[in-house]
Amino acid sequence: MKRPPDIVYGLEEAPPPVVTMLLGVQHVGLIAINLVYPLLVFRVAGAPADAVVDLIGSGMLVLAAATLLQARRVGPFGSGFMSPAVFTATYLGPSLVAAKVGGLPLVFGMTMFAGFLEAALAPLLNRLRPIFPPEISGLVIFMIGVSAAVAGLRLMLGGSAVPVTSAEWGVATITLATMMILSVWARGMARMLCALIGVAIGYVATGIVGTFDPAQSAAVGAAAWVDVPHVGRVSWSFDFGLAVPFAIAAVAAAMKALGVITICQRANDPEWVRPDMSSIRGGVLADGAASVLSGLAGAMGTNTASANVGLAAVTGVTSRRIAYAIALILVLLAFVPKVAAALASMPRSVMVATLLFAMSSVIVQGIQIMSSRLLDARRTLTIALSIVAGIAVDIFPAIAEATPIVGSSLVLATATALGLNLLFRLGVKKKVDLTIAGEVADPDTIEAFFARYGRAWGARPEVISRAIFGVQQLAETIFENCDPKGPLAIEATFDEFNLDVRVHYQGELLELPDRRPTDQEIRESEDGVRRLAGFLVRHNADRARATAARGRVTIHFHFDH
Amino acid sequence: MEVDIRAAGGVSVVEPKGRIDSVTAKAFGERVCELIRGGENRVVIDLANVAYMSSAGFRSLLIVGKTIEQTAGRLALCGVIGELKRLFDIGGFSQLFVICPTRAECIAKVGPAGPQ
Repeated sequence: MKRPPDIVYGLEEAPPPVVTMLLGVQHVGLIAINLVYPLLVFRVAGAPADAVVDLIGSGMLVLAAATLLQARRVGPFGSGFMSPAVFTATYLGPSLVAAKVGGLPLVFGMTMFAGFLEAALAPLLNRLRPIFPPEISGLVIFMIGVSAAVAGLRLMLGGSAVPVTSAEWGVATITLATMMILSVWARGMARMLCALIGVAIGYVATGIVGTFDPAQSAAVGAAAWVDVPHVGRVSWSFDFGLAVPFAIAAVAAAMKALGVITICQRANDPEWVRPDMSSIRGGVLADGAASVLSGLAGAMGTNTASANVGLAAVTGVTSRRIAYAIALILVLLAFVPKVAAALASMPRSVMVATLLFAMSSVIVQGIQIMSSRLLDARRTLTIALSIVAGIAVDIFPAIAEATPIVGSSLVLATATALGLNLLFRLGVKKKVDLTIAGEVADPDTIEAFFARYGRAWGARPEVISRAIFGVQQLAETIFENCDPKGPLAIEATFDEFNLDVRVHYQGELLELPDRRPTDQEIRESEDGVRRLAGFLVRHNADRARATAARGRVTIHFHFDH
Repeated sequence: MEVDIRAAGGVSVVEPKGRIDSVTAKAFGERVCELIRGGENRVVIDLANVAYMSSAGFRSLLIVGKTIEQTAGRLALCGVIGELKRLFDIGGFSQLFVICPTRAECIAKVGPAGPQ
């Protein structure tokens, strides 16, 4: 595999040891931010401070193991990429419900269930694509962001929350402002570590205003500097009522892992054309296995980290050795309970500010994915009604209380979207045709035809644009040069992976040359322009072929989707 | 297709609007070539409002380029973005023409004050 020009150390390369460890520390800094999710769950479950320290310690061991498994490719497990594991907001909503309903044993048991489910989905990912098109993946990611941000705000503004003091508002503002300022205006290391620096400043501000919880401060003081992690004080339970929300989160986690591993593939291969499903299957399998391990060891669900993969791309180091360094640092940290205790004592004002900051990019990612496809009335309704359904659960919690299957805003939004998507798939034709009967190319009709069905199919706009150009250029050239007898018959077939367009006519065969005519040939002869047209339509498609039988010509374009 | 021609900074800025295809390309090319042969041989073509360009359109650009070359003039293109940029790349035209990101940069490049 060639190394892309902006990558300094590629997947198989070994950066110097100092660089490897420094980058490892930076990645762990990013991973540490996501510890806010299990901390929130442990807090909602009412876990005592010393137990939380142990759980965070074993959580770090799980993340280390998951990061190694993802990078190493052991048997069918792992994508082979430096794609660290983090605790994820995807499982936050269902885990909070589980923490309230059945305490930590239920969180751990349901996390294992979700992990098994995600692993089972790995071989079925390709087939799931029509049921889970990108606009629904985007919707799920958007709702993950919204529901996690709302869950954070409930810590400060919820009906059962202790009233917020003005000092806490001050700390939250300083924390969030630090993250925002560094993220927008800083450069280099300060920008990459903006969230971690914000958390540190939040802690300092909390110390200054004196709003640390005395019990948790005492736990930090009592925690040892070095100790063997206490894994084992864990039990598990299962609740059928929570199977649906955890199952939806597992599907969302699988989709997220698919996306992150695709980003890894693209970052490491300058000639990347389409996802390598073998590496993705292994990656999703490892991702599910990591959540199983997480539930076993007493932590919440994990997922591959888009932020770390983004950091690897920015720093130009995608070496697998960084994953080993990350795992080593996480293991070392698990042996330092004071760090876990300090994290476990995170004030709610710092926690909420961090959640809001982290969720902003998740929410926007969701919006970008939703708008990456052409949307017709069906898809517009699916997205809009599902968002309203989800937000309604957050605004009117009575909906979830009256119908427990609804679970959370994420679950209802996803279930609504899946239901409407299945309903609206009825009556959408996969094979459509158009006849151009006149004596000119009629470009407007061709454009309107593809635009209409592109929206109905939810196709990628760039693929539809290529199809429109290909057919318009072809029609123009046929009418100008190929002496067609009778109409042009255009047929297009679509599924999630392919757009195939066939244009049939009676007339002369149009050559689709592999070599471009010279500038002089194009300028000085009609044949040059005709061959340029053939060359353009050939290279505009992923595959193109012209065949003729008994005077009837068929030009076949294939576009990968 | 409409073609708007105006003078700016010692340069003729040609702005076609619409489609440059087999129906319109010849007239477009001839109009720009007449301009060049009339002495206006520092030309910027702004393609920002071209919705579609076929092989016939590329041919007219090549003819304009050749005419400019014969009069020792200068030609630059701007507005080559999105779908049009992709077609320029496929057809190998991106390296053939001077292409600038903005109209102002094109004018600076081909104008009397530009690099000789």
